[in-house]
Amino acid sequence: MHPLKQYWVAEALERDLGDPCHPDSLMSFQQVVELDEREEFPEALLNWLYNWKLNHYYIPTECGGEFTSFEEFVAFVRVMSRRDLTTSISFTTLFWSYLVWMAGTEKQKQRLASFIKDQNGAMCLAYSERAHGSDLVGSDVRATKVPGGYLLNGEKWPINRATISGVSFVLAKTDESGGARSLSLFMVEKSQLDSATYYNLPKILTHGIRGSDMSGIGFKDCFIPESSRIGAEGAGLEWALKGFQVTRTLCAAFSQGAADTALRTTLNFALNRQLYGKTVFDMPQPRRTLVDAFLDILICDCATIGAARGFHVVPEQFSVWSAVVKYFVTTQLESMVADVSVVLGARYYMRDAHDWGIFQKVVRDNAIISVFDGSTVVNLHALLLQLRQLAKQRSRQRGKNLEVLQARLAACFSLDQPVPTFDGRKLELFSRGADDVLQGLELALAQLQALEGAPNLDSGVLQQIVSFTHLLLEELNALDHSLEHSTFEFGHDQSPELFDLAKQYCTLHAAASCLYMWLHNRNHLGAFFAQGEWLVLCLRRLALKFRPAHSLASRINDEAIAQELLRLYQEDKLFSIVPFQLATSKVQGDQTNATSELQLQA
Amino acid sequence: MQLQNSSYKPSEVLSPIDSGTSQAIEASPVEAIQQWLVSQLAKQLSLDPKNIKVQEPLTRYGLDSIDAVTLVGELEDWLDLELPSTLLWDYPTVEKAATFLVQEFDVATALNTAKAESALSTPPEKAEKSSGWGGLWNRISGS
Repeated sequence: MHPLKQYWVAEALERDLGDPCHPDSLMSFQQVVELDEREEFPEALLNWLYNWKLNHYYIPTECGGEFTSFEEFVAFVRVMSRRDLTTSISFTTLFWSYLVWMAGTEKQKQRLASFIKDQNGAMCLAYSERAHGSDLVGSDVRATKVPGGYLLNGEKWPINRATISGVSFVLAKTDESGGARSLSLFMVEKSQLDSATYYNLPKILTHGIRGSDMSGIGFKDCFIPESSRIGAEGAGLEWALKGFQVTRTLCAAFSQGAADTALRTTLNFALNRQLYGKTVFDMPQPRRTLVDAFLDILICDCATIGAARGFHVVPEQFSVWSAVVKYFVTTQLESMVADVSVVLGARYYMRDAHDWGIFQKVVRDNAIISVFDGSTVVNLHALLLQLRQLAKQRSRQRGKNLEVLQARLAACFSLDQPVPTFDGRKLELFSRGADDVLQGLELALAQLQALEGAPNLDSGVLQQIVSFTHLLLEELNALDHSLEHSTFEFGHDQSPELFDLAKQYCTLHAAASCLYMWLHNRNHLGAFFAQGEWLVLCLRRLALKFRPAHSLASRINDEAIAQELLRLYQEDKLFSIVPFQLATSKVQGDQTNATSELQLQA
Repeated sequence: MQLQNSSYKPSEVLSPIDSGTSQAIEASPVEAIQQWLVSQLAKQLSLDPKNIKVQEPLTRYGLDSIDAVTLVGELEDWLDLELPSTLLWDYPTVEKAATFLVQEFDVATALNTAKAESALSTPPEKAEKSSGWGGLWNRISGS
């Protein structure tokens, strides 16, 4: 078992699901590709997960479930996602229950917990409307007050699991005067409705996650009791935005699971494919591509795991952190999948060759993650509105309250420390200019300098880490300077240049996350992690988003990274800074043969 | 650019403002906040301040919900007070917001500090041109 307890659930789920390359395993690549071809909802797989009681891990312990940590949550969502995003996403609509765990009454919490645990209940988030996209306040769905409750009218579309779920979280207008307090949030239980007063819209045909229940729901004078309202009347938008902070961050786990499979199946090909008397992996260019993909996963890992833990420590900063992670991780890993597709060559495009064509499914499925729950533009917009305050706060706080900042960063990034209980009521609509990750960069630099002469640490590696950290600080200062000298207007006509600054902010946040992850875990995540060559290469990779290669220190030898990639592959461990044990592919040789046979058939 | 008041006492910094003939000095706290909000709305929504009525809902001027939260952040900066992030959702006109602030917070002290900061960091003639309530913002936005 993994020394870190928060990875036990993921390891247990892996063991019980089995090797996805083996056709007899549950959620095997063969099975999920077949389901996808038939555009079939993965009902049996979801039932298996309920029987495994994974649903209990979406309910906080204080509400009678097993959820204690978002770090644990991210790990088990990766386990599902590396096999099948359709199943993972369909199952994980359960994370909308956080709306109730955060804002619901004790009675609502009990009711929902029982629905999830005792009835294998599932739910959907019914916010979007055909005419309004991300403009939630523009809602045409009305909840009109009547004695004892409300009458719902209108349609929500496109909604994942709108049809195959018992609960819809509906955002509806309760005040015709409009504005931010015009919306209320309702937990609509289909079992309580008059079936003549609601209907579902047909399944939408999609590019990826083709088996999912992407549909819609409509209401016609549909009575819902007063007790179904979550929070106060008019509090709907506030809870909706806070709920998004949770789910947008967690979406990163979908991308990370998909990225693992994209890299693993490509590596499987590169190691077995012989061309010109050697394997593809032994050729410098494909090898570099695969190593860089691994670095991308490690970078995103640091950002995702840091944020998952950060929820428990600095929930008030998540209007910033969630936007960073949702934008950065999902787009970085989309690019990573596109990068490795080159190594797979024509097979990347085939629906029945090489590992049952899982790669092309990953490409299609993964493409939705950066779009749903707030698109790239929505997240960057949410972030850019806060950039000036972040810059001002960094300048004001420089050198102040360092011990407190240091303690919070340690709590966020030291994986061997338990996290405090998550308190969703501490989420805030804006972070008041606080983002510990970038505001602590000077601290990280001081910590690095204190490492000089540390045993088992190559001085050249440390020197490069220090030098890249200086570069990050320079870029952060330049970013702050640009912000101070930029004009700003409200509204939805923000300049593309401001969006670019927001992207840069995300990159810097991710880079700093890598630094803290290394600084706070050097003593317990193994030799590869501690040696820090991966960090040098990750930081260099991110620095390339700011500066041309010739202006940077030349790339250090990446053999250690290539060897670690191979080791994790051969030992069936997750490509991660926390490489927990995956289901073992007992007969690696058989797999290779199966692959060759498929290639012959193709 | 710091707004913290710990190192200044209002009495020490009021005199330079008095000599600066800033009109905000004569305004009551409610008026000062109203003026500041109107100036922000005018500037950041490209409107003529004369056309902004303090009794009209802010949404009427194109300030959407997330912008309203951002504007609370600016207000916090200006007053160096921690305010509810949904302040402008719950008090959605300039008049209501200003009245609420004066009733619930020690705005007079905060205003003195904000003015002091503004006067200290902005040449008086510039402050006059911007009618006394745009100085700090001009510097922040760099315009």
